[in-house]
Order: sequence, then C-alpha cells, then structure tokens
Amino acid sequence: MNEIKQDIYLNPHQARRRPPTQYEDLLGDSIERAFGAGIHDLSELVAYLNRTGPGCPLNEGIWTETLYQEEIARLAA
Amino acid sequence: MRTIANDPVEAVLAVGLKDLWYPICPSEFVAERPVSLRRLGRKFVIWRETSGKLHALEDHCPHRGAPLSMGMALGDRIACGYHGVQVRFDGVVTSVPGSPGCKLEGAKATRSFHVQEACGAIFLYNSSVDVDQPPPLRLPEELTSDEFSNFLCYAEWKGGYRYVTDNVMDPMHGTFLHKQSHSMAEGDNTATFRVRETDIGFVFEKEGQRDVNFDWTEWADTDLHWMRLAIPYPKTGGPGGSFFIIGSYTPISENVSAVFFWRCRKLSGWQRDTWRFLYRNRLEARHWAVLEQDRVVLEVMEPDANQREMLYQHDMGIVRWRRHMRNLAKEQLAKEEATEQVKA
Ligand code: FES
Ligand SMILES: [Fe+2]
Repeated sequence: MNEIKQDIYLNPHQARRRPPTQYEDLLGDSIERAFGAGIHDLSELVAYLNRTGPGCPLNEGIWTETLYQEEIARLAA
Repeated sequence: MRTIANDPVEAVLAVGLKDLWYPICPSEFVAERPVSLRRLGRKFVIWRETSGKLHALEDHCPHRGAPLSMGMALGDRIACGYHGVQVRFDGVVTSVPGSPGCKLEGAKATRSFHVQEACGAIFLYNSSVDVDQPPPLRLPEELTSDEFSNFLCYAEWKGGYRYVTDNVMDPMHGTFLHKQSHSMAEGDNTATFRVRETDIGFVFEKEGQRDVNFDWTEWADTDLHWMRLAIPYPKTGGPGGSFFIIGSYTPISENVSAVFFWRCRKLSGWQRDTWRFLYRNRLEARHWAVLEQDRVVLEVMEPDANQREMLYQHDMGIVRWRRHMRNLAKEQLAKEEATEQVKA
C-alpha cells in the first residue's frame, strides 16, 4: 500500500503490490474472454488458454489443470 | 444551515454513536511508529508492540496535553515526547521522570480504547466510558466464513458518514448513476421498494427484481453498524454469482468520512484464485471507477442538502434508517442523563 497521504486517502490500487506484468495482463484478457464465452470448467479453461495464450510460464508454454491451479494460486497469493 | 448546537441528537450523531465498534483504518496504517488518527470526535494514538499487538489511547498526554503520538512507543506504553511521562495501554501513568513519586504516577489519567484487527482493518470500540471487556466484534459471514474471499477497499470521502449510508441505502441510484458501469447496466428504472425487518436490522429491497442490478441493501447492528448488498457480475466475471459488498462508515470530522467497503465473493479453489487474480489485475480498478461516481456526487452535495429534500417511495429506506439512528441517539442521551443524575 502507498504511504498515507496528508490530505485524504484515495488510492485506487490497494490489492496489488506492484504494477501488473504484460503476461498477467494477457492472462487476464484470456480468462475474461473465456468466462465471457461461458467457459466455467477448469479443463475447458485450460484448453482455451492453450489455444489463445499466453503460454504457461512453468512448462514451455503448455497449460495443464495442475499447472494452471499452481500458477493462479501464486498470482492470487 | 444546520444548527448543531441546538440539537443534542444531532450532536450525538455527528461524532458517531458510542458503545459501538467502528473500523478506523486499514491494518497497514499502523506499523512500528505510533499513529495519530482523528475519528469519532477525538484523536486516538494507535501503536503496536513488537509482537504486533495493538493499543489505543486518546492522543492527549495527561500532563499538559501534547499528542502522545509524538512520543515513543515502549512496548505496552508510550513515553510522551514533551516531558517523558509514560502512559500504559490502559491509561495508567507508570512514570513521571521529571518528578518521581508525584501523584500522577499510578493514576488512571488517559482514556483507553479496545482495538481489534480483522479482514485487513483495525476496529476500535468507541466506549462512552472505559470498559474492561467490550462486546465481541461480530462481522457478517461474508467476512468470516471460509466460503468467501474478500478484499478491503478503504477511502476517505469529503462528506458526512451519514451521507455515505444514505447513498448505500438508496439502491435505485445504481440504475442511473452507474448506468455505464461494468456491472449495473441491467434492470428496470422504476421499482417499488419495501422494508423487511431482520433480527439485527432491516433490508430495503425492490419488489419483483432480484440479482439483476443493485436491488437490495441491508443495514445491521451487531455492536458494529454495517451494510450489505449484492451486485451481479457480468459473465466475464466468471462463476460465483453476485459479488457482495460489506460497508461500514466512520466519521473522521463533520464532513469527512472513513469509508470501508469489503468486496466479497463466494468461491473456492481455482475459481477463488482466479477471481483474486482478476481483482488485482483489473476488477479493482473497475470497482474503483464505480465508487468514484458515488464519491463525486456526495462531495458536491452541500453539507445541509439533507435539510431540503423532497423524498419519494425509493427513499423509504433512508427515512427508516434515519429514524432508527435518531432513536439510538436519544437512548444514548437518556443513558448519559441517568448517569449524570446518579453522580449528582
Ligand atoms: S505534555 Fe506529555 S509529558 Fe508533558
Ligand atoms: Fe453507488
């Protein structure tokens, strides 16, 4: 969190600790598009990401259900 | 303009009702150094022991009134920066270095307050007199149940805390003010509302429309005044249904409020993690933009706007809540009077 302002406190970003990376922005775009298309299952989401990117950073680009769970847990922590 | 001096009920409400818990700041506001916060009609000094344990006293040294927050925290006490008088967390002076053995030593000379941390915020029990044991802090299930995940959004708005409640007690503004927002484009722009009583407060809700827009709002009193509402997410928000907002508002000064909104979602596993990732990456900014629309309206309203109103059916919730608050203020005044008489 930013330093406390002298005046009043208005900080639009309180949940993030650093600006997002380009990879995170692309991942966010993809997930939103998948949800928007009605994809709610993990397996379908993983297939969607493998089709549209971004690639999985943990496994030479290939997402699996386990790796998605691992990676999103890291990003959510 | 309002004539506060002539209206004791108004004076009670302006600084916030006593004997209630209030959120006063995000947890991060208090680190190693004592922090001074103006809230609820006085100034508090809040500090932590190295273990993280929180303490709060009135930010006023019993010797000559310097802010204790200018001093130094020594574990469970503070040494005033002016003449070194040490005040313990319970308000007892433990040492007067300039005049050892003087009467001030051992005296309970400063107001002390109970503080507790939960869901990213520090809560303070605004007791009318010092108490050994405050009632438990009881938060809604959206903030306590493992089935929910939440983020706190804290802001300070230039408007009285009662204007903030009025705004949340007014679901219909969602359809108009937030028409362009990511989550409130749907639903009728006319509605009939009703009030439904609950064990801890009441719900103000639209008849015949649920989970489409901002369709209901709840006010509750669990020795903490809080509000609850739900707003449907668009499809891109993924599974999990509506997201919930828990709100609680604390006066900073007459026309400035500390505004706490917890955004909550009922999700688990990878779905919860995905929401938390999206929230950080983009949803927080969108929620913020919606809240800014509220803040701007509130801040451009004159402080006495609520003295010249022509209310209609959609404002029933506001009327119900204001009446309730005035009754609570009257009860507090009656209690104060009774104690005065016992003392006299
Ligand atoms: S005013 Fe605090 S020690 Fe004198
Ligand atoms: Fe709003």
